[in-house]
Amino acid sequence: MNDEATTPATSSDGGLAGSPLLTTQNVTKVFGGLVAVEDITFQIPERSIVSIIGPNGAGKTTFFNMLTGLYKPTYGRISFNGRNVTGRRPDLIMKDGVARTFQNIRLFATMSALENVMVGQNARMKAGLFGSIFHAPWVTREEKAVDQKARETLSYVGIPESQHEQLSVNLSYGDQRRLEIARALASDPKLLLLDEPTAGMNPQESASLTTFMRRLRDERGLTILLIEHDMQVVMGVSEHITVLDHGQQIAEGSPEEVRQNPRVVEAYLGTQGGKEAEAGAAQRGDGGQV
Amino acid sequence: MEASTDVARLPVKANTWDKVRGYIGEYGLIALLLAMPIVYGIQDISQDGSLARLGNNVVDGLSNGAIWALVALGYTLVYGIIELINFAHGEVFMIGSLVSAGLFGTLGLTVATGVGGLILGLLVILLVAMLASGSLNTMIERVAYRPLRNAPKLAPLITAIGFSFILQNVGILWIGGSPEGIPDLINAQKELFEIGGVSVSQGDVLAVAATIPLVLLLTTFVGQSRLGRAMRATAQDPEAARLMGINVDTTISLTFLLGGLLAGAAGLIYALYQTTIWFFQGFTAGLIAFTAAVMGGIGNLQGAVLGGFIIGIIQQISDNRIGGEWTPAIVFAYLVLIMVFRPQGLLGEQTREAG
Amino acid sequence: MSAAATAIRGRVENRTLIALLVALPAILWVASEIDMDLFMAFVLWVLIALRALFHENRAVARGTIAALAAWAIILPFFQDPTAGFIEDATLALAYTVFALGLNIIVGFAGLLDLGYVAFFALGSLTAGWFMSGFVASAGGGEGWSFLVGEPASTLPGIHMNFLLVIVIAVIVTTIAGVLIGLPTLRLRGDYIAIVTLAFGEIIYRVVLNGDELVIGGQEITNGRQGITPVDKVDLPFLAPFESLELRPWYFVALAFVFIALFVNYRLRDSRLGRAWIALREDEVAAASMGVPLVRTKLLAYGTGAAFGGVGGAFLASYLNTVNADQFQFSFSIFVLAMVILGGIGSIEGVVLGAIVLSFINNNLIPDVFNDYPSKVGLDFDLTELSFGIFGFLLVIMMVLRPEGLIPERRRQMELVQHLGAGTTTGVGEAEERTIEARA
Repeated sequence: MNDEATTPATSSDGGLAGSPLLTTQNVTKVFGGLVAVEDITFQIPERSIVSIIGPNGAGKTTFFNMLTGLYKPTYGRISFNGRNVTGRRPDLIMKDGVARTFQNIRLFATMSALENVMVGQNARMKAGLFGSIFHAPWVTREEKAVDQKARETLSYVGIPESQHEQLSVNLSYGDQRRLEIARALASDPKLLLLDEPTAGMNPQESASLTTFMRRLRDERGLTILLIEHDMQVVMGVSEHITVLDHGQQIAEGSPEEVRQNPRVVEAYLGTQGGKEAEAGAAQRGDGGQV
Repeated sequence: MEASTDVARLPVKANTWDKVRGYIGEYGLIALLLAMPIVYGIQDISQDGSLARLGNNVVDGLSNGAIWALVALGYTLVYGIIELINFAHGEVFMIGSLVSAGLFGTLGLTVATGVGGLILGLLVILLVAMLASGSLNTMIERVAYRPLRNAPKLAPLITAIGFSFILQNVGILWIGGSPEGIPDLINAQKELFEIGGVSVSQGDVLAVAATIPLVLLLTTFVGQSRLGRAMRATAQDPEAARLMGINVDTTISLTFLLGGLLAGAAGLIYALYQTTIWFFQGFTAGLIAFTAAVMGGIGNLQGAVLGGFIIGIIQQISDNRIGGEWTPAIVFAYLVLIMVFRPQGLLGEQTREAG
Repeated sequence: MSAAATAIRGRVENRTLIALLVALPAILWVASEIDMDLFMAFVLWVLIALRALFHENRAVARGTIAALAAWAIILPFFQDPTAGFIEDATLALAYTVFALGLNIIVGFAGLLDLGYVAFFALGSLTAGWFMSGFVASAGGGEGWSFLVGEPASTLPGIHMNFLLVIVIAVIVTTIAGVLIGLPTLRLRGDYIAIVTLAFGEIIYRVVLNGDELVIGGQEITNGRQGITPVDKVDLPFLAPFESLELRPWYFVALAFVFIALFVNYRLRDSRLGRAWIALREDEVAAASMGVPLVRTKLLAYGTGAAFGGVGGAFLASYLNTVNADQFQFSFSIFVLAMVILGGIGSIEGVVLGAIVLSFINNNLIPDVFNDYPSKVGLDFDLTELSFGIFGFLLVIMMVLRPEGLIPERRRQMELVQHLGAGTTTGVGEAEERTIEARA
């Protein structure tokens, strides 16, 4: 599965080659009395596919929401592309080049698939109130270009032309998921955040999404940050994995390292599983890694 | 993973507008609320040499405020449990007044009735008015809100406004389009006693004396009884409440019933105190009482009562100093300011999202 | 899927045919009641039928809209000038402008505005200031005029050209819209409703008691008496309008409606229109997709308010008065009802809703329903019930057909009915329900 030629080299401390596109330092979010996410520090290099995993309620989506500006971190710092984006407005972060999909599909229901994707390009358009009313020639040109690009993006993600003008809510579930991705891609982001993109998919669909993610990285130079529960997908496509549990970073590393990490197993399976993993690691004689 | 630098551990800075808003929210609202009493208090001392006029404003304001508190409790109870503004609540209050006034005649209560008969009669009317308004409110929930519980917020809002208009029309048909005077059964304006130049009338005492037990009863009920617990649980998390075996539908109906009961009581007190009833009284009363509920913190029972008294005082000062025609504008201006700078109110919200 | 589609289409066809057949006598009856020329009513029915039967066909759709516009233009010439129809129609057109404005705020952007009357009031007040004798001290008591002809130019007060006043009204109401919108930016839906309602009431009170507010020696409004008379519309190259010659008023109102429609259509299919609808559907997702929330909301308020200014200034001149009685809360609900009855977010629906409600309010209830009870032997004045009937209408609308007469997205309606779910006024919940139903 792991193609040596395309996966960046990993060094022994779990860091990655390639310049970091996104860096977080001690990002923490406190809601009232509850610490949802604590001291998350990591980096994502350009042109990579990285995953965040963890049991339900670990704080993964909260973390995503901070990366996209929906929540303001209580402490910590987030840099994207060399720029401090901590607490920046979501539409501005989007403009900087961060796009996302949502765990529960959040499409614009009364708009067609095409229109949904056109909204995705909102940040890249310049048409204003008066230009739109009076159909200034450059506005008409822009509309056409945006329309064209939306169609191309829809086809790129695999939605057939017959569905382009369908109401988003009429599309099949798989197409809706694809549409969400198309909408995120429409703005030519540098970083794509996918929140459980394979939820509700069967193995074939998941595999095809995995291939698609690699295409995005290779063909479009995208960096992808993934929240996932499907371990096959995660282990198969990730170059680097961060594990969260109860809001804390409990492990980091390559898929192999993370899979064998007793703390990770414990988080997912409980203490018994953790002990077994420890025992297994001891047997193999490599003492486990953090 | 250790902290790489301590710099990153600093709280994220809010932008200036948020800071200004926060600051104003903390102190500005209280300052604004105190502004009117303080300004006029100073004016009083310099002009009259005493605070008697302001004191009278406060006393009258408290008695008006008691009525608003009762109505505000209805708004806050309902909003706390289903996060919906019961637009028809003001009209439920109005109907309570109309029912009460109608029963004056039916029971043969006049200014000449003796104290004993009066008290008995009024207690009966209180019961009937409360039940009338209570059942009305419950009926509105059943017909207007429950079927639309999953619809977007616009739908129940419009339906409630529709009911509000229908009820206003009922008022018009009942007593006509103009305000109507009713017998001054308790001699509301008669001064009962005086403290330092401040006159306390019988109406003032009645309003507060009638409100306090009702509020205490309500608070005890909500705080201690099984049904009250069910209400609080449903307000916090309806799904969890349902899983615990609480009948959410019944609990919501009960909440509306309680709100209606209080509105009915408020209606009677209003009729006795103001000696005038009007089909349109519910509209203004509704908005004023809602402002009170929000000022105290929506969903928060103590907040509603506190808000009611505060608004009552502001209203009275405005009526007395600036002119009654401006009072609604002033109260609504306060509403807007609360929403901008401190939407959670003085004592904090207690709704699903906040709690 | 295709079998179901054909079945659905078949059902729609049958239902539509029956509806059209019933509509013909209904339209003719209504036309006779409101003194509309029967032949024109018939032509209207034909156009509606064409539109309904061929609604999939874009060319037919465009053609019928053009035909309807032409129909509206020639309508007055088929009318008996002494019948009240043109008068009522002009009023209906003015209300249509309001409804189209509110449709931008509530329909496109999904912001619950219960205080639209504020913009009506401000527009009218602008006309009251600059097109009447109200500002008596202007020009040292002699009057100050600008680009108006006789007799207005000789009278005391400020008398400006109607078109200029429209421009001023638009500026005033746009600013007011933004100011009213500012406090609502972070509020939840029903709180937005209350705050806008509060503003509407505040402005009503200011107009009502404005004679107590004096700035620079001039009162802000004329208090309870209102400002009257207001100059008649005086367009360049034409004589000033008169109160008895109604057709020019009708055409001016119709022109405003055309302009409002033009702006609405252009905006709906633009970047801003999409941003508004995205905002309405899911604010969080919209922000994540790059829609700047503050700017988009304020643009909605401002643009919607501007229409109120236009309508308000026009009505001040047409009704010859600026009076606080016109600016009560019930008017806000009246306009909102037009939008909802027609179909929230649907431009054509809103026009229909405005016209229908305007005629019901001005004609059917007072004239028609006044006669009927006596015909049935009841001694009862139904106008007393107008409040309650209106309220009842609101309730019925939300219970039976919340998506309105001409829903914004008919295809959505079909699907949603098919699944047994709720409405197209979707502010997120409708979407989640239908998605859950599929997933």
